[in-house]
Amino acid sequence: MLKNTFLKPIIPLFLFILISACSKDEDPEPANEEEVITLVTLEVTKVGSSETITYNFEVEGHAHDDEDEDDDDDHDGHEGEHIEIELEPNSSYNVSMLIYNDTDPNNVENITLEVIEEADEHQIFYAITDELSGFSIASGSNDNSDSDGNPLFLKTTWTTTGETSGDVVSYLIHEPTSKTGSTRNDFGGATDFEIEFEVHVEE
Amino acid sequence: MLKNEFFKVFFKLLITNSNNFNIKSFNKNKIAAIICLLAVIFCYSQKCDLEFEGQILDLHDNSPIGQATIKVVNSDQTVFSDDEGFFRLKNLCPENILLKISHLNCKDLFQEVNLKKSVFRKFYTEHHIESLNEVIVEGSRIRELSSSAKTYLLSDLQKDKYSGRGLAKALEQISGVNILTTGNGIAKPMIHGMFGSRVGIIYDGIQIENQQWGQDHAPNIDQNAFDEIRLVKGAGVLKYSGDTPGGIIVLEKKLPLINDSLYGKSILNGYSNGRGMNFISSWTKSFSNGNYFKVQGTIKRSGDFSSPNYILSNTGTNEKNISFTVGKNKILSQWKTDFSYFSQEIGILRSSHVGNVNDLVFAIESNNPTVINPFDYKVNSPKQINKHHTASIQYSKRNSSNGKLNTEFSWQRNNRKEYDVRRGDLKYKPAIDLTLNTYDLISNYTWEKSNWSLDSGVFFQIQDNQSDPETGTRRLIPDYLKTELGSYFTVSLIPSNSLGLAFGFRFGHQNNHIKKYYKNKRWEEENYDEMLAPFVINEVLNQKLIEQRLIFNNLSINTGVKLSLLEEYKLSLNLFHTERAPDIAEMFSDGLHHSLATIEYGNPFLKSETIQKLVLDFEKDIGNFKFNFSPHYSIGHNYIIIEPTGIEYTIRGAFPVWEYRDVSSVIRGFDFDFNLKLNKNFTVRSTSSWIQGYERKSKTPLINIPPFTSTNYIQFSTPKFKSFSMAVSNRITLSQNQFPNHNFETSFIEYGKRVDRIVDISTPPKGYHLLGMELHWGAYPFFSDKISISIIFENLLDTSYRNYLNRLRFYADELGRNIMLQIKINH
Repeated sequence: MLKNTFLKPIIPLFLFILISACSKDEDPEPANEEEVITLVTLEVTKVGSSETITYNFEVEGHAHDDEDEDDDDDHDGHEGEHIEIELEPNSSYNVSMLIYNDTDPNNVENITLEVIEEADEHQIFYAITDELSGFSIASGSNDNSDSDGNPLFLKTTWTTTGETSGDVVSYLIHEPTSKTGSTRNDFGGATDFEIEFEVHVEE
Repeated sequence: MLKNEFFKVFFKLLITNSNNFNIKSFNKNKIAAIICLLAVIFCYSQKCDLEFEGQILDLHDNSPIGQATIKVVNSDQTVFSDDEGFFRLKNLCPENILLKISHLNCKDLFQEVNLKKSVFRKFYTEHHIESLNEVIVEGSRIRELSSSAKTYLLSDLQKDKYSGRGLAKALEQISGVNILTTGNGIAKPMIHGMFGSRVGIIYDGIQIENQQWGQDHAPNIDQNAFDEIRLVKGAGVLKYSGDTPGGIIVLEKKLPLINDSLYGKSILNGYSNGRGMNFISSWTKSFSNGNYFKVQGTIKRSGDFSSPNYILSNTGTNEKNISFTVGKNKILSQWKTDFSYFSQEIGILRSSHVGNVNDLVFAIESNNPTVINPFDYKVNSPKQINKHHTASIQYSKRNSSNGKLNTEFSWQRNNRKEYDVRRGDLKYKPAIDLTLNTYDLISNYTWEKSNWSLDSGVFFQIQDNQSDPETGTRRLIPDYLKTELGSYFTVSLIPSNSLGLAFGFRFGHQNNHIKKYYKNKRWEEENYDEMLAPFVINEVLNQKLIEQRLIFNNLSINTGVKLSLLEEYKLSLNLFHTERAPDIAEMFSDGLHHSLATIEYGNPFLKSETIQKLVLDFEKDIGNFKFNFSPHYSIGHNYIIIEPTGIEYTIRGAFPVWEYRDVSSVIRGFDFDFNLKLNKNFTVRSTSSWIQGYERKSKTPLINIPPFTSTNYIQFSTPKFKSFSMAVSNRITLSQNQFPNHNFETSFIEYGKRVDRIVDISTPPKGYHLLGMELHWGAYPFFSDKISISIIFENLLDTSYRNYLNRLRFYADELGRNIMLQIKINH
């Protein structure tokens, strides 16, 4: 009996101490976001010229502190300050799209290669607004295609005619239900990225 | 001199022998001395003059059992016990004798006695063999979980009917229970509009810990491993938990009878929808010494389900479960050890994986899912693979004053892997990989008397969650170690047959040790520096690692009264006060939900949620018309809800951000059940429930509150064909017209035009009604077993409908017609 009255209060006390002592000792490893696309670049080269202009589209990723604000603006609707791509009228441009995950700046992953490898499960689509009359985007001669011969639109040729300006939205579509279409909805699938920019065709 | 003394004693012995002396009154030492002396003097003589005296007592309460027959086997000696349970056998030889003790209501007890001298022994018989198995003997009577709150029990028929469809589906047959689903394979029980951490699921005395906070996390439990499924709406059972204001679901295995037998049950279910089958078999081997062994297994395989108009691609399921129990039931004490393994692979509707809100808009606007493939058994991504292991050991002991000590230790390991539609090698990697280890130690003491009982206990839990960093995604919930220590005390009084009172409290001290990475972007946006800066212990790759210790002390109280009015009517009133520490997920979740295209963020500053709940039961349980009307009302303080707070832009596109916050809430409603026996052939059964939930200040309705539902059965059975019965059922679900408006606007380019569109994620779907039919035959003798057959039709008219409580309602219709064949064999 004495043993019980002595022991009973000890047990909760002991447990209480145990609780306070319980800790997660090791720091968890940081998880790398391997899947995300953090950077899309468009390399625009005028046919017949060797000068290439690179446009970077990025949200999230590592903090370019000064750029962060701008990045957000790129995507807060169509009225914001978008990246502007300046083109000359009556010209052709070769445009290469490159897709990266630069979450870890020391180990930038080129996702473009994965997209090419899994061409059957991917499709890039450029949606051009009606304001950009006379401006067209076609698959380039060096474009990659899937096993059915459908061009991926990773490498494109942009053709301009008269002066104009308007918005273009480019999508990378994962597992599209259709590889062709005239609007995003026709492709089905899930959007892996959605970048928006303004095209200005001016002298 | 010595010789004289010896003869004196010997003489005395002879005299007393012939005078039926009572051994108890005789000095034991003297007897021993005499016997020794006798042995010396009358070496090896077979003198049959020994006496055997005994007392027959009840095993459970030590009460004497009179009128028991005590027979010496292989002789003609038979005596009866007197009112005090005493008996006496005379003129026995010093040898092994076998006694047979029999009594009305008792199992015959055989006991071997090696008689060398006259002795006294006590015998315990199982007088109340029925009381251990009340359910078997009294059929419909329910072992109450609470003396003041109503306990609902699933009948064997109700339980077996959904033996292939998960626990939540089986519980939905009880009014006030809804199911919150994600597609058709994942279902969580919702009681009085609450789910997840607010509903406790207790199996073998321990609450299941399986990341129950998640809306798309179905309980990782096979209900077929249990004999009994009981439910209390409201936080009525403080013995098990104090933080579950929704209710408690208790799954238990029956203790086998103490006899030598082997029995079991097998169920084979086949379904037309999903072309699935599942097979369940359970076997129990018990021995007359109280040892028993139980084994149960389930296998299930099902392919893609179908809605009336299309196949729901990637909705197949595979399940394999096994459980063992080994134990010994000695009535006064018993121990058992359990092991169970649950493993499940569930496909999630392929078309529900969307990339961003624009994809969601297309999905909502399209009538059909965007991906419809031919029927397949294969489960692809998105899918979940869940595994739950349990090992437990339990010991209980009764003492002579009707007290019972019970101690249990249990270990649970839950692993949840969620696979998304991903690219490259990541396809084979889960996007979420959580391992939760939980250790529970509980000990309680119950003291039961005829008109009162006490139950008090202590509990201790350690829970360790680990999120695998190899997933290549941000951790949805951080790594944490949770410890909880607490105790509870409940008392119930039954002063008379017409009055019952209950009171109880439960206190828990919880300590959470969390290590979480915050992205710098989020950290800055939320200005966490102000509050959380002291907790930063490391910085890597644009992330801050914080270490926090969060302590919550929670007290839950329950008082209740139960009255009988005019014999037929019963009224019970229960008041609950519950405090619940916020879930780790509610405080720290951080991730993207592909099915709703939402980013979910926890709120690290949440406090314990307090709910006061009143539940009234007005019941008539006798006669041709039985009913139960049960209104309930609960007020929540710091009631934690998740709501959209804005839009976040990522390179994937726009995502609505949902964040946890606390509100003051009111949830009220009623459940109404009745059972009307029209004549000897027809019975009408009905269960209905209505519920309303809103924020107290703004009167904004709460999300995911079930709409009014009513299920009505007409049962037919006839004494002419005793082994046939049938029922037609109609389930009416109205449209929920009280819902918060979380719609938002998005803009995208369609056919070259910029369009603005409202994303309607709020409007509930239309109401619907479903017709069902069930036909039951049996049980028929089948060799030495009994066989029953049922055919069950669900959604008989193949109605297309969508369900407000299905998270994937934007993408596809619910299941079409399903015909289920069930063969049940009782071995």
